[in-house]
Amino acid sequence: MKGQIWETRPLECWNLAKEIRRSYDGAIAGKDKVLGQGMSSFTLDWASAFPAIRVVEDNPVGAMMAAQDEPFARKARLASEVRGWGREICGYHNNCWGAQFLGHTSDGNPFPEREFTVPFPCVCDSHIKRGQQCRDYKPIARWTNDFTMYIGERDEKREEAMLDHRNYNTLKMLNEMEIVFGQKLDDEMIYDMAKSYTNIGDIRSEIAYYMTFKPTPLTVKDMYSFFQLRPSPKMGPDVLAKFWESLRDEVKWRVENKIAAVGTERFRWLEAHPPPWHYLKYYRYMEQYGAVCLGSQYANLRELLIEPDGSYEVRSYTEPAFSADMELTTREDAVRFMTTPDARSPRHWKIEEYIEPYKLNDMMKIYNCDGALLGLWRAGVGCTLTRKEQAIRLREEGYSVMVYEGSQPGDRVDLDEKRLLEQLDTWMESLGFRKFED
Amino acid sequence: MIIAGIDMGVQNTRAVIIKDNVVIGRGAAPTGGIDRPEMAMKAYEDALSAAGIAAGDVSKVYATGKGKFDVAFADAVLTETVAAARAARFYFPEATAVFSVGADETLAAALGRERLISEFVLNQKCSAGLGIFITYLARRLGMTMAQAAAVDVADACAVNDGCVVFAELDALSMMNSGEDADAIMAAAIKAVAVRAATVLCDLTAPVGDKVVLVGGFTQSPAFLKALSSCMGREFLVPDDAEFCGAVGAALAGAEAE
Ligand code: SF4
Repeated sequence: MKGQIWETRPLECWNLAKEIRRSYDGAIAGKDKVLGQGMSSFTLDWASAFPAIRVVEDNPVGAMMAAQDEPFARKARLASEVRGWGREICGYHNNCWGAQFLGHTSDGNPFPEREFTVPFPCVCDSHIKRGQQCRDYKPIARWTNDFTMYIGERDEKREEAMLDHRNYNTLKMLNEMEIVFGQKLDDEMIYDMAKSYTNIGDIRSEIAYYMTFKPTPLTVKDMYSFFQLRPSPKMGPDVLAKFWESLRDEVKWRVENKIAAVGTERFRWLEAHPPPWHYLKYYRYMEQYGAVCLGSQYANLRELLIEPDGSYEVRSYTEPAFSADMELTTREDAVRFMTTPDARSPRHWKIEEYIEPYKLNDMMKIYNCDGALLGLWRAGVGCTLTRKEQAIRLREEGYSVMVYEGSQPGDRVDLDEKRLLEQLDTWMESLGFRKFED
Repeated sequence: MIIAGIDMGVQNTRAVIIKDNVVIGRGAAPTGGIDRPEMAMKAYEDALSAAGIAAGDVSKVYATGKGKFDVAFADAVLTETVAAARAARFYFPEATAVFSVGADETLAAALGRERLISEFVLNQKCSAGLGIFITYLARRLGMTMAQAAAVDVADACAVNDGCVVFAELDALSMMNSGEDADAIMAAAIKAVAVRAATVLCDLTAPVGDKVVLVGGFTQSPAFLKALSSCMGREFLVPDDAEFCGAVGAALAGAEAE
């Protein structure tokens, strides 16, 4: 390989990842399910403990649509627009809502209409509206999920009250779901899920830590694929834990042996958000310059607990509140086990991102980065807010920053791919890099 | 050492021959369409003959501009921003920023001491094609480019500066309501200046007091006046402004070797 600086080899974990993905896709395709919308990832795991309740969130569905079938996505967005949802709506949702109005998905199958919704608060109007829209469309059950989120000094009493509120709401929701849908929640499965969920959280934090090393053993492109993995009921939650454990071990080994994800690594960058999902190939383009993306606020802001003075620790989702091997014997135990670590710094990255947008500066130092890439999306305000302010702060600290225009990752209409490549060329060339094959 | 630079823009192609940091030959040709490679060669040959040398005397040829990949005989290509920045420093060693407004592209870069470019901004969709718009409007109004460049913008109103599509709609409305050609062109140039200025304003680094203006619009006194008045500052314009891309490509290319 031209320009090779580090030894590199493919990740062995990919095979298992692909197997998990295939199994989940097969499970979602089933038709005998009660389908819900708008739950946070926290409750998404709970839903799988019901025999026939699944969550179909707009975000992944809309992202897939734009990435895999752009003509259909355009048709869907038009269907949404003529019903009054403007182009300022986030691409994920306009795609999804349009497909709902059209009544089918891109392969011609009926659109999986939701039978309940669990909106949760968000600073982004589109994000919160996704819980409302399917309820406006037809009358369906609705619950609400909350975050233990506030601004200002840490206040443990307040956190405690917020946690009580959140846990109460969650338990109430689960009980009512049993009644409304006539299904029994599998509590044993919930105990396992709570454990595996927190366990995976801890492992992901460790992996993020390993990515701070030079050369990085993993790139964000890999992580974007992995962190969408969900267990199918058939494979069970354990398979996911097994996957993350083996990934962690492999990554640790790679760090110890200086095995790079990208053999040409010589420039490390972070971004605020991924590009439109169909365009992940730009990471490969950047590798021609030896430039490697380590992550984003979107992907790994929450993995390391960064203190106001910039120091950090690898985040544990169990300690210090609980011991990882504590026994869970009630539904409430399980709910508390999962929600309590959130009190200190909620796992909902989007909210944290607004309150502390300059964490990206700290991340730049921690991940040993040289530059940052920030997208300004023409629609979907939630993924664009604070970008320019971030650019100013980063530049003040001497980092090279490139800002580019595009679409929120669930859309691609406003991303001029050729223009983005020209900008990337300019960015690299202005820093004195040429492509290795030049 | 003798080097050459070719700047193949959307409308015009310029070539220069540089010997020991002095420009000794210049050539120009319209960029053309399908015949772009030939037009690049024509501009290059003009520059060679102006310099009184043969192609064999040139060590390396560097290309930039939107059509840079059509310059088949170039040894290397450079981005337009790097070329513009290098040229700004060549003509004005104390330059603090460069601003280029051309037929298709508008770009701005803050220049640093340690690194030539400390920050750059390229136009996004809304400020694309400003020069092409003015060329097209002049044709529609029956004006030459020289006439368009000489209109009085002092008291002109401005058409919509959102993008050239909106600007054109406003210009058409003015035509339909019987405004004279000069007034319409002045309004369009004023809007173009505002739109271009947004690119310079997008830089977050301080641009300093020595901003060098390059690109095709440097040939339009009307634009220069509109830009200076909307930004409240004067710009440094090199005598060779139209050839800056070619000069910068040659110099930056040779330095990167
Ligand atoms: S723009 Fe971002 S925050 Fe807003 S709905 Fe879309 S994905 Fe969510």
